[in-house]
Amino acid sequence: MKNMSRGASSAVAAVCLMSSALMVPALAADVCASDVRVLAQPRDGLTLLEKYKDEFKALSGASFNIDYLNENDRRAKSRADASIIGKYNVYYIDEANVALFASSKWVVPLLEYYPKEYDYSDFDPGRQKVATFGGAVYFAPLTGGTDLMVYRKDLLEKAGIQPPKTLDDFIVDVKKLNDPDHGVYGIALRGQRGSGANVWRWMPYFRGFGGQWFDGNKPVFNSDAFIKATQTYLELFKYSPPGTKTGSWDESTGAFLAGHVALLVESSPLAGEALDPKVSKVVGKVGYTAPPSPLTGGGYAHGLAIGTKGNKDDAAKKCAGLFIAWATSKENEKRRLDEGMFGELNRTSIMTSDEFNQKFGADLGQALVDAAKVTAINFWQDPEWPALGDHWGIELEELITGTRTDIKGSADELETFAKTLVAKRAN
Amino acid sequence: MIAQSLRQVAARATIGVVAFLVVVPVLWTLLSAFKHTVDIETSPPLLLFKPTLENFLYVVERASVRGALLNSIIISSSSVLIGAVLGLPCAYAVARYPTRHAADIQFFVLSLRFLPPIAVALPLMVIWLDAGLYDTRIAMIVTYTLFTLSITIWLAIPAFKRVPREIEEAAFVDGYGAYAIFFLVALPVAAKSLIGAIVFSFVLVWNEFLIALMLTTSDAKTLPIVASELSQLGFDVPWGILNASVIVLALPPLMFLGVLSGFLNSFVKRKV
Amino acid sequence: MTAGGAEAFPLRWVSCASVRAGILLGNSFGLKAVAVKTGTRLPIVFVIPSMVVLGVLALVPTIDAVNIALQNRELSNPESHYVWLANFISLFGDRRFLNAMWVSLEWEIITVSATMIVAVPLAVLLFEAITPRARNALCVLFIVPVLLPRVSAAYVWKFAFHPLYGLAAYPLKIIFGRPVDLLSDPHTAMATVAIVDVWQWALLFSVIIVKLFETLPRQPLEAARLDNARTWEVYLFVAIPMLRAPLISLIFVKMVESLRAFDLIYVMTRGGPGVATETLDMYAYSQGFIESGRISYASSMAVLMMVATSIAFTVIWKCAR
Repeated sequence: MKNMSRGASSAVAAVCLMSSALMVPALAADVCASDVRVLAQPRDGLTLLEKYKDEFKALSGASFNIDYLNENDRRAKSRADASIIGKYNVYYIDEANVALFASSKWVVPLLEYYPKEYDYSDFDPGRQKVATFGGAVYFAPLTGGTDLMVYRKDLLEKAGIQPPKTLDDFIVDVKKLNDPDHGVYGIALRGQRGSGANVWRWMPYFRGFGGQWFDGNKPVFNSDAFIKATQTYLELFKYSPPGTKTGSWDESTGAFLAGHVALLVESSPLAGEALDPKVSKVVGKVGYTAPPSPLTGGGYAHGLAIGTKGNKDDAAKKCAGLFIAWATSKENEKRRLDEGMFGELNRTSIMTSDEFNQKFGADLGQALVDAAKVTAINFWQDPEWPALGDHWGIELEELITGTRTDIKGSADELETFAKTLVAKRAN
Repeated sequence: MIAQSLRQVAARATIGVVAFLVVVPVLWTLLSAFKHTVDIETSPPLLLFKPTLENFLYVVERASVRGALLNSIIISSSSVLIGAVLGLPCAYAVARYPTRHAADIQFFVLSLRFLPPIAVALPLMVIWLDAGLYDTRIAMIVTYTLFTLSITIWLAIPAFKRVPREIEEAAFVDGYGAYAIFFLVALPVAAKSLIGAIVFSFVLVWNEFLIALMLTTSDAKTLPIVASELSQLGFDVPWGILNASVIVLALPPLMFLGVLSGFLNSFVKRKV
Repeated sequence: MTAGGAEAFPLRWVSCASVRAGILLGNSFGLKAVAVKTGTRLPIVFVIPSMVVLGVLALVPTIDAVNIALQNRELSNPESHYVWLANFISLFGDRRFLNAMWVSLEWEIITVSATMIVAVPLAVLLFEAITPRARNALCVLFIVPVLLPRVSAAYVWKFAFHPLYGLAAYPLKIIFGRPVDLLSDPHTAMATVAIVDVWQWALLFSVIIVKLFETLPRQPLEAARLDNARTWEVYLFVAIPMLRAPLISLIFVKMVESLRAFDLIYVMTRGGPGVATETLDMYAYSQGFIESGRISYASSMAVLMMVATSIAFTVIWKCAR
């Protein structure tokens, strides 16, 4: 298709449409007039989806094309496209962007175009909550989860410790299990600056101690909870492996999967990875449970949303909605379950199915249920969240690496910054 | 004499070390491309492991890789070619026919590159969108011609200045016209220095990322963008796939430059 | 130009204006005078097309970028109005911006000098001690680093410096007895990223400089040798001064390229630890597209960077001539 001129390819598309319409008269008019363009991040689930292009074509009358970019580039490109270019019909968005995209009207509320038979309510409630802004749902999840406490059963048994249930016990256990001379560290945390990096790992402590980001338009985070959370985080960082001070998910989970970490609280996809022998050295030695109280689990989700600019009319939006529904349908999730893609499952029906328990173990299922009870939305659901979160991320990284030491001063600085963010909005 | 050969040995040893520093990272990347992630993230680094072809297959099978490769080759070569065709004569004229402001022209050409890509990304997006040429190879070639033209002129002016005047004057006495002197005398003589300019401009646009990201969606996607695609999978950096992508994506320009330099070398040998 | 792109870009008007400007520019540069003096129109024929193309391609987006910098546009808001110099003024009160300027300056100095310090002696060694055939093979080898896709190469090196698994960090681990994390120490982070930059560019430069050496006439060098000059003296006092103009050009090119190193630094450190390696182009990019959509603010940073670069480079250029 790429090398044909536009005229020729639209002629071909027209012929295809006509012939498919002739062959399936019962399907009435095709929902899609042209291929659906999707901008996404590389995921195994999406790669799997590409194998079933014919199925989508039979369903809608057109195919789809996914362009992949890594997370930062995808964020930059989707902003540029949503605001100026408008080439993509469907965007992959993450929880931090929902507020911005929704309030800027870059994406349309999803449910209007999500056919009922695909059953949106089947999705995990935590993910639905993340996808909601201003009362409307904006995306259908491709991945998501919460925090789990993942630990090395063998190391805990050897030291005679039970998995900790409270944060105080957790800290004691981390110190006890920390043994750098034998290549084992007590915990692994994220140090790299970013609202989705170090700040993400830090927020459960902040919220667990009772911190709040905003009260309406007033920043109220500069509190004891903030200071205590940061002190705890910095204290725990002493027991985190090298490479994590400026590292994120990849470094800390990588260290755990390589066998260097005893306990950690991380996002749930880690559980699936720990079971995969191609990436994990600790298969069979891993236990899961809910995060120690009072830590809240960081609920998050990424999914597909309908772009406003790229879909000029209602028909185009319906087409995009159909694609999103099909991509996140029960059938496609089942296929992902069959492939063992733990991190790509979102539907309650799939995650409580027998096959799930068979593949991943009943204790994992139970841990997820327990963790769901303490899941919260830890971040500030606002278009300005990335700016605020990233600013704090820089200060936090400086605290972690020792470039700065004054926690209270950092909190004050952040508050000043937050006030300028809000003041701009009032204009 | 002994001192002489000792110096030779020392010199060769230094070159050897440098070559080692080039070769080892590339070889290690090649080696790691055959590993599963679990064998990459280990300490100490592993030399013996169970190899796999999965990573290479993943990279090579992706349709976006093939399309992007073709785009990159076409876009880069075209803009380098246009840059050379327009830029070399211009550089020659500035070098050989100096005006009061020759140095200023030279600097002006370089100064066009002072504006960071981030600032021109947005205007360029809007311009190409309005022209109806967004996400086309033409738009990319035209945009990149700015870079190649600017660099070619800048680096070619000193090259032409160093062509000995005697040779040109001799040709003039032999009855060659101004244009003939350029094509048949100055160009071949300066060819070796010019190769540097051409190679440089090729390297510059081959790896250009930001403008390519902002000006393309899928039709005119270039290789650096596909490299970005292959640097993440789910939440992780897929180290095996990443290493494989480095190898696979580096081969085409290498072969292209190898062919080009062989071509240019024989051209130079024939003419001089 | 609104965010919606509603106005059509006046392409024809701009092109005509640019052709006229190109010719005017050419005349002001004295091309017509030279053509008259030497009796051939070659200067005009050869120069004007390039000037026109450059004029259209470069000046148009530049003027538009300045235009954006004078407004208060954000990606999320289709409306905006002119705030003139407000962006520029708020830049000077922005801690991160001032830090970014300093970091960019540091980065420039470190990479440009390191590149030349490595490239020139390496080229000398290549020219002196290696046979021409082996030299060609090594030249091809030395171009490989700069051809690797930048993002991927950055990840590969980032991994190489990983304190636990990295090949480059492993010797350090043995020497110091414990894992050494170079990228998280504000003092060593920049130097570590600079190593990668030098690895790519210095080797390319050495190839270019060797080719330049190959074009040098033999007599001056041999004459110097006959005068009992030592080898390094031959190069330092004879060969390199003969190559003064091309070498200066190369230095300037590297100076301009170092300003664009943002994708390398971004992958390896994200600008961290903290803001220790956050250069100006990275800060502008994150303000424009990652953290918030404040493209006018980002544009004003870029314009300021362009102005500063122009002034600095003009001064250096005048001195170097």
